[in-house]
Amino acid sequence: MIQEGILRHAATRLLGLIPTLLLLITIAFFMIRVAPGGPFDSEKVLPPEIRANLDAKYHLDEPLLQQYFRYLGQIMSGDFGPSFQYKDWTVNELIARGFPVSATVGGLAMLLAFVLGTLIGITAALKQNTATDYSVMGVAMLGISIPNFVIAPLLILGTAVYAGWLPAGGWDWSWQRMVLPVITLALPVIAYIARLTRGSMIEVLHSNYIRTARAKGLPERMVIRRHAFKPAILPVISYMGPATAALITGSVVIERIYSIPGLGSYFVQGALNRDYTLVMGVVIFYGIVIIVLNFIVDLIYAWLNPRIRYDEAS
Amino acid sequence: MPLLVKRLGGYILCGLTLSLMCQNALAFKIRRGLGPEPDSIHIHQAQGLAAINLLRDLREGLVTFDEKGEPVPGQAASWQVLDGGRRYQFTLRPDARWSNGDPVTAGDYVRAWRRAFTPETAAATAGLLKDVLNANEVLQGSAAVESLGIRAIEPGILEISLVEPAPWILEILAHPVSFPLHSESIDNPLLAPVNGPYVLSDWTPRASIRLDRNPQFHAAQSVLADSVEYFPIEEPSAELSRYRAGELDITETIPAGRFGWLQENLSADLRVHPYLGTFWLGLNLKQPVLGHSRELRQALALAIDREILSKKVLGAGELPGWSVVPPGMQGYDPAKMLQSELSQEEREEMAVRIFGQAGFGRHEPLLLELRYNTSGVHRRVAVAVAAMWKQVLGVNTQLVNEEWKVFVNNRRMGVVTEVFRGGWIADFADPASFLDLFVSGNNLNSTFYGNSDFDMLMKSAQISSGGTRMEILARAEARLMEDVPVIPLYYYVSRHLVRPEITGYVDNIRDVHLSRYLRLITEKP
Repeated sequence: MIQEGILRHAATRLLGLIPTLLLLITIAFFMIRVAPGGPFDSEKVLPPEIRANLDAKYHLDEPLLQQYFRYLGQIMSGDFGPSFQYKDWTVNELIARGFPVSATVGGLAMLLAFVLGTLIGITAALKQNTATDYSVMGVAMLGISIPNFVIAPLLILGTAVYAGWLPAGGWDWSWQRMVLPVITLALPVIAYIARLTRGSMIEVLHSNYIRTARAKGLPERMVIRRHAFKPAILPVISYMGPATAALITGSVVIERIYSIPGLGSYFVQGALNRDYTLVMGVVIFYGIVIIVLNFIVDLIYAWLNPRIRYDEAS
Repeated sequence: MPLLVKRLGGYILCGLTLSLMCQNALAFKIRRGLGPEPDSIHIHQAQGLAAINLLRDLREGLVTFDEKGEPVPGQAASWQVLDGGRRYQFTLRPDARWSNGDPVTAGDYVRAWRRAFTPETAAATAGLLKDVLNANEVLQGSAAVESLGIRAIEPGILEISLVEPAPWILEILAHPVSFPLHSESIDNPLLAPVNGPYVLSDWTPRASIRLDRNPQFHAAQSVLADSVEYFPIEEPSAELSRYRAGELDITETIPAGRFGWLQENLSADLRVHPYLGTFWLGLNLKQPVLGHSRELRQALALAIDREILSKKVLGAGELPGWSVVPPGMQGYDPAKMLQSELSQEEREEMAVRIFGQAGFGRHEPLLLELRYNTSGVHRRVAVAVAAMWKQVLGVNTQLVNEEWKVFVNNRRMGVVTEVFRGGWIADFADPASFLDLFVSGNNLNSTFYGNSDFDMLMKSAQISSGGTRMEILARAEARLMEDVPVIPLYYYVSRHLVRPEITGYVDNIRDVHLSRYLRLITEKP
């Protein structure tokens, strides 16, 4: 019964994806075209004949609406087209090469942030208003407030330039090159998750059913693990959907500081270079990732929270 | 020291015997920063400096650069200049080969050039070959691509015809857009046979590009670095970190604001050298205020203290600029603004005087707009210039910064611009590459300067040669600097960090440093 409900829910959600994406594509397409300047504007103005040839090659000489429908038709077949900026690559190739890198760094950072963040949050909640609580949460506040473009160079200076333990940047899929970016990316998320966990844990610990569990004489560890953990983690789970989507699609700051070939820079570079196809490609891809992750979060949520079941709707 | 002598001895021995064993004993790898990811490694698509530098290690044209960055014969063994500089006949090296062993023929050049000029290719840099016979007609589609002025007389002899004499064409022949293409290679730049000192062996976009020595290269035995690894690193401070962590041997640049620190801490590695570029403020002469009064433009130019600008505001080795053409071009002495000889005090006095003559004064302050594209350096320059104008002339300057593409678009249109950030980095070391910008009707002329005397001088320079030509060009520049369509502020410099144990990296005005000349003189610690 439950499974059937979930399946139906999944189907509805997937159908809902189509108008959402269409809206996203339309808005993104016209917004980037409205921006002044184009992909071929540069310091050295091109001779008009060459400019005309380039415009024709990329169909930029056609009316905008015609280009829009051409683009829609093209992405129906899963083709995001050639990049204007990186002329040897198609947008599909750039995403296919960039996403695994971003997903690895972002995924590891999320894993680290989830484990450490919840541990810190629970510890702080259990020792509420003690020195441990204050110091742990104080450090967490620091993690949120210090931007990563400050932390990253400090980490590089300390561990790479002076100590020589880790490489200062670059990418070759070795764990050594992942350590610093993963830590930098995880730090603010650890702090945020710790704060979320602490808050909801404290709330849960004050609820009636926990008092009941304790009254029944269950050991404290059992109370936390069996009864308090799941409900306390719910706000963290709903935060993790969009947060994971943001992390695994790359961060432009992290990628620039550590020279990582991820997806994040394409959002910024693509927009600045008026690389129309690249911007559209990464925006659509990001949209899909968010929708999928939110869906997964919903499923986990339902599993964790007995009050939400998708068969209710039927 | 003994080690050094031994290694040098080794090189000499290598040079003599060309033995494989010897080369292996000296095997070393050079790791270079590349700046941004190259936009393309296809000779007809590459536009950015990163791509062009990379292509010059992979491929070679009729002409190439020597260690000092001067043009020398590359794939051509020799050439003859005919018809008063309108026709060039090149004899190809008999040992010029593609990396797959095929000989490089004159037909490979003809095919490549025709491809570059085909509208479907849309080669953005094809404009560099505009002096070639029928180039413009072919680009416009009014002439067949076969009519282009390039012809294979024999497999080993190539003829290039020009519309007018263009002595800089030799340097253009060292630019990737003029390189040959192997007959099978057209659509796959990654697997394509190359004819340069190195072959591409691995490319991970935005991470690293690895080149290995090309044994088929005609001067392979003199290429000492077995492999070169290029790292695209967009962020200069990230590049510096990696250099300091020992992961790079040569950087593409240095981070802004770190010049003083580097001078103190890495002075043996720091290389700063004049470069083929000038930074200026352009004045849109279509705006009535700026266009009508030459005195006003001169006053604005004189009120700026370039010493303070280059030493205090920029402070990374830039040189104060008084001309459009930067110094360092062979046989040419830039025609500076005459007032550059005066002291700054005298200049400011003069500025106030002619500002008054032009009908402006403090009682009725002039309001100007200074537009620049968003960047830390440009912002600092703009703020300083505005302060100097205010102080000396009482001019109120409104600073407008715009995102890059918006800025270049506005500058090209010339509707809203008044004073704007400008400048030029030459494609080839010839004064004409700067002065041509100001010929009436040139689409790069964003000041909309138009002067028939200047145009005529440029025209007559085109049909002269040697010293006479340079003299005429200098007269044209002097004319330009009297009219002040642009206010030159400083000359660019190239900035790199190079490990002291590397030789063969000679600072030069073109800032070209082919990897084939790099050598290592000591073991790395």
